[in-house]
Amino acid sequence: MNKYNLSKRQAVNELSTFYSFLAGFLIALVIGSIILLIQDKNPIDTFSLMFKLSIGSVNSLSSSLNKATPLILAGLGIAIINTVKLWNIGAEGQIFMGAIAVNLLYINLNLSDPAIFILVLLLSAFIGGAFCILIPALAKVLFGVNEIITTLLTNYIVIGLTIYLVNGPWKDPNSLNFPAAAYVGKEVYLPTIFGKLSYGFLICIIFTALAHYLKNKSIFGYEMRIAGGSEMTAIYAGINAKQKAFFAMLIGGGFAGLAGGVELLSQTHRVSTGISQGFGYTAIIVAAITGMRPIGIFLVGTLFGALSIGGSVIQTIGVSTYIADIIQASTLFGALVIQFFFNYKLLRVDDD
Amino acid sequence: MIDIQLLGLLNATLQAATLLFVAALGELITEKSGILNLGVEGMISIGAVAGFMTAINTNNIFLAVIVGVLSSSVFASIHAVVTVVLKQDQTVSGLILTILGLALSSLIGKNYVGKKLDTKLESLFSIDDPSNILQVLLNQNIIFYVAILLMIVVSYTLKNTMFGRRLEAVGEDSKAADSMGLNVTKTQFIATCLGGAFAGLSGVYLTLSYVPYWTDNMTAGRGWIALALVIFGGWKPYRTALGALLFGFLEALVPRLQTYGFALNPYIVKIAPYIITILILVLLTIYKGGKTGAPKNIGIPFFRENR
Repeated sequence: MNKYNLSKRQAVNELSTFYSFLAGFLIALVIGSIILLIQDKNPIDTFSLMFKLSIGSVNSLSSSLNKATPLILAGLGIAIINTVKLWNIGAEGQIFMGAIAVNLLYINLNLSDPAIFILVLLLSAFIGGAFCILIPALAKVLFGVNEIITTLLTNYIVIGLTIYLVNGPWKDPNSLNFPAAAYVGKEVYLPTIFGKLSYGFLICIIFTALAHYLKNKSIFGYEMRIAGGSEMTAIYAGINAKQKAFFAMLIGGGFAGLAGGVELLSQTHRVSTGISQGFGYTAIIVAAITGMRPIGIFLVGTLFGALSIGGSVIQTIGVSTYIADIIQASTLFGALVIQFFFNYKLLRVDDD
Repeated sequence: MIDIQLLGLLNATLQAATLLFVAALGELITEKSGILNLGVEGMISIGAVAGFMTAINTNNIFLAVIVGVLSSSVFASIHAVVTVVLKQDQTVSGLILTILGLALSSLIGKNYVGKKLDTKLESLFSIDDPSNILQVLLNQNIIFYVAILLMIVVSYTLKNTMFGRRLEAVGEDSKAADSMGLNVTKTQFIATCLGGAFAGLSGVYLTLSYVPYWTDNMTAGRGWIALALVIFGGWKPYRTALGALLFGFLEALVPRLQTYGFALNPYIVKIAPYIITILILVLLTIYKGGKTGAPKNIGIPFFRENR
């Protein structure tokens, strides 16, 4: 009888994450096809339509890149926090908080120079996101409270706060059926680079570079990695692990908050429950699938942005928009399965 | 004469607590084996939609419960394959299980949104005197009694049976358990699927009695509160039940505060349970000073080195 034993591979292929992602994406497309077939839809027609409507023209490509922007920014925030081996499940709430902060400042402040005004508003979005994760961060570093559950619960709190604001103090009387705050003035709209492509995407590129530097090249990144490793190493290296964890969480929350600010100033132009359509959750998939690598997050985030645009336009032919969510989640599951074969090898053990 | 409002509050407390407790008890079993499953929210959702669809199509409430429970269990086996067999990160896999579960249930339940149930999960008795406290309290849904039964059975099983000891051994030190000849993979796989089954039961209770209808994202974070409950209960069934009663009481009390004369904004009232959950988690962690009672091997994949 043959038995199999697992053995950890000594050297794991450096591109294994990339290959796992590709294979996972193929697996996800197969799963998506099966679901489409069950619903009596032709998968090839559907996918080619999704492809055409998401990157087939300058206009649709700009929409996809705009859609990718909050995914990437929030994903980068998650990756920064993961450097200290902590999880941020609260990106969704931080995105909303970023938008709320922008609107709060916009109502109460008036700067004559629009460029400076926009910069100040974006800064407030970053601070809003950081503020949103403040309680979970303090609870984690001071008392060791599990950050996964606390950051997740803040999502429900902030979305509840948003619903309160747009139905109460910020309610725009002109928006009749859909509760929302009043639109911000045109002077603070983020301008477009060309077509529909917003300058938000440029911000996204800059912050990808920034996150890459922060995580992999800076002293703070090095200290964060040590802080996320063993407790003793951090003590020997004279690194205050809790302090690093605290700042990593605030910065990561700020990235997600910025995503909300950019989304408000470039896409929705007002606060409503439509600020985020689950970007904070998709961002978790994006960050995890790339092994928390900023440049990978940029690439996969772009792909997933296109997928979301494709998913929302195929609603018109009667395909559920959730197909995009399912493909994204299945990609990660597929990638996890394939990653196993990069990390381990099966050894056959012959019994006598 | 007992206040009718107070009785209503008690009743709502028990119902909300049942829903949370069943899911939390399942997660407790899974975590006891050393596997963390953050997919509770997704698993409840799958069970909820599968049970609801079966009930609409067959009108057979018993079959609906079975289908809901089995669907969530099969769905949980994805997590078991990825984390137990393939030893991948449990946090990532569990999170994606939640995202996938919510998306999948929305997709398959699309045509069932707004449909009305003809038969619901019924209570065991009928009331003839609504002011009789005993009658009202005994007049609970069948799932409430199932939950009490499960609490006793699970607590007994964990403490006094071979399966319970095996679960604990695997969750505390999988390497030692393995060298004692226990099948770690099998134990963890079973525990994960059992957790899914419990979440499924919680889900069918949600759509077949508690609400009862189907709509997207109707789990509304209850899966996450169930996860918090396991920590609250220190991985012990009876204490988890106490926690469920407390959280159920909050869920029931908050919307009623207005009738008791508190002028509260209804939108703010809705977020109160989440704020209180965070607060309780913080206070509890301070009180216990880090000694939570968590299984020592939780989150760490078991891997047998070559001998």
